Amino acid sequence: MTVSGKKSILIVDDEEIIRDFLFEVLNDDYEVILATDGDEAIQKLENRAYDLIITDMKMPRVSGEEVVKYACQNHPGSRVIVISGYSSLYTVSQSVDNGACAFLSKPFSIQKLMETVAHCMEEVG
Amino acid sequence: MSPRRSMLERIRHCGLQVRLIVPISAMLVASILVVSSYLIERQAEGFMHTLLSSGERVVRVMASQAESGVLFESTFELQEMLNDLRSLEDVVYARVLTADGRVLADYGQCDTTEISRTSKIVYPGELGEGDNNNHSLVNTSGVRFVEIVHPVVYHTESVDRENLGATSGTDPSGGKSISTEEIGSIQMILSLENVNQQAVTARIAAIVLALVVTILSIIVMTFFVRHLTGPVKQLASVTQRVSEGKLSERVKIRRHDEIGQLAATFNKMIDSLEQSRNEIEDYNRTLEERIVERTRELNEAQAQLIQSEKMGAIGQLAAGVAHELNNPLGGILGYAQFALEKIGKVSPETIGQKDIDKYLRYLSDIETQARRCKQIVQNLLRFSRSSHAQEFEVIDLNCVIDETRTFIEHQMSMNQVQLRMDLDPDLPKIAGSAGQLQQVLTNLLINALHASPPDSEILVVTRCSPALGEFGGTVEIQVCDHGCGIAPENLMKIFEPFFTTKDVGKGTGLGLSVSYGIIRDHGGEIKVESVQSKGTTFTIILPVQKAQEIPIT
Repeated sequence: MTVSGKKSILIVDDEEIIRDFLFEVLNDDYEVILATDGDEAIQKLENRAYDLIITDMKMPRVSGEEVVKYACQNHPGSRVIVISGYSSLYTVSQSVDNGACAFLSKPFSIQKLMETVAHCMEEVG
Repeated sequence: MSPRRSMLERIRHCGLQVRLIVPISAMLVASILVVSSYLIERQAEGFMHTLLSSGERVVRVMASQAESGVLFESTFELQEMLNDLRSLEDVVYARVLTADGRVLADYGQCDTTEISRTSKIVYPGELGEGDNNNHSLVNTSGVRFVEIVHPVVYHTESVDRENLGATSGTDPSGGKSISTEEIGSIQMILSLENVNQQAVTARIAAIVLALVVTILSIIVMTFFVRHLTGPVKQLASVTQRVSEGKLSERVKIRRHDEIGQLAATFNKMIDSLEQSRNEIEDYNRTLEERIVERTRELNEAQAQLIQSEKMGAIGQLAAGVAHELNNPLGGILGYAQFALEKIGKVSPETIGQKDIDKYLRYLSDIETQARRCKQIVQNLLRFSRSSHAQEFEVIDLNCVIDETRTFIEHQMSMNQVQLRMDLDPDLPKIAGSAGQLQQVLTNLLINALHASPPDSEILVVTRCSPALGEFGGTVEIQVCDHGCGIAPENLMKIFEPFFTTKDVGKGTGLGLSVSYGIIRDHGGEIKVESVQSKGTTFTIILPVQKAQEIPIT
């Protein structure tokens, strides 16, 4: 929870169109911070905790898996949603094991996104 | 020379039986001949000895009886004495002579010339001192008569000290000596007819006996040798038949000696031979079926592998393609829904320029992303369509490389490997299948990626050689990595089908082999240079065909 009273979301995706779209959709209701890859995401996670992290799986250098692992280990109160354009069943289940609470497959509808985000935020409380 | 050799050859080829029987028989016959001839000679000598000694005894006795007859020249007495010789059949003639050679009495008839020609005269020793050794001088061969002569001696007893020792007959008792005087002789001729006859009979008997013994011995020996060599012959003939392939043959010898053991062992050997042959025949019978079956299976497996390599090549792209497609689709779907939602909430009256700008931006984004999707789908279609048909078209290799890049760039960045391009902008177009060449490039780039360590670089270079006369020129594509390199022993094998150093399930070993085939179909060449732990460079050279030669399909 930030000063503005909005819950915070960290969006991690190397694809600009997805970042922009998620920002557009979620910015009204939440405090949205963007990271262009896993490296940047972990840097941001080192500084502060976010209520929710939405991360892509396949990214150069540091993958989404690393982000999930880092977030869940260092910020157990945070929730993580994994989004991916193409992932093997193994990487998804691995992410869930590491602490992710939801998975969204690209392309996803706004409705589905909002529902998932809302559901996760409820868990945060 | 040749008859002798043929003789030797004949001996060499004789059977064991002949080889045993002939020399043993020869030895047997020789020894029987030697022994029997020795015995015959001894027997003949014996007959002669008996005749001569008995004749000598008779003459000696007559000489002592005739002492007074000769002294007084009493012919009647002497004649009576000679007539007693009738009982001796071997005596053919006898006479008593005085010292001066007058005949006092004689017995039988004889041609004296014949006697002197054919007989030998025996001079026995002193009266009463028969020396048998004299008879050994007699050679009776070819002689029909023998003459024995004995002196008739007159004995006078006197004491003569002066003459002591001068005479031959001495009396050790004292000075008395017996002096002898030869007053005549008795001559007797014996016929050797009987003796010779006996010798001939004995000789015949001995020869007959020797023959009988020889024949019997040969018969016994033949039987014995047959008994010995028969089983060997049988073994030999069975071996011969077995060597001709008649493995049902067995040696029928029931004996408990070494030959019996040999036969049993031999039978055992044929048993195992027959068993082996049956197994081999069975195996041969099924082998052909098996070969057909295995060949079919192999062909199927090969076809399956080639198919799976194709699928693998496509599958490798699938991740990239899915990622590439889903990202713009995500944007399109999201912005479209978002715009619909927003527009639904506003009325035409309240809509402001700001909203219109926002929606235009959404639509522009949607358009851009949709075009991106279209491009990806087009690439994919070209890839899949050209993979199936050998359709050559005029293609720009730089474009093909660019399109390939869109598929694998993402995987490159995943592995933190940079893809650097150094493309010749003046590269001439070539005839070929863009899809197939894309497959080759994808394959080379994925291999390079797998070999490359993180934070390294893969370089793709294109350049061309100008046309010269009939030579239309070439274009060259190089894919260089700074990876682990290829071991020299593997360098010759990498284009062979099914050769792979990747883990099971990760590579089919067909990628480079298929690539090789594709480049060959394009009339080009593919070669490789590699230094271990430094990197590998694959070079593809493709011919540039003149514009009119390129078949446009």
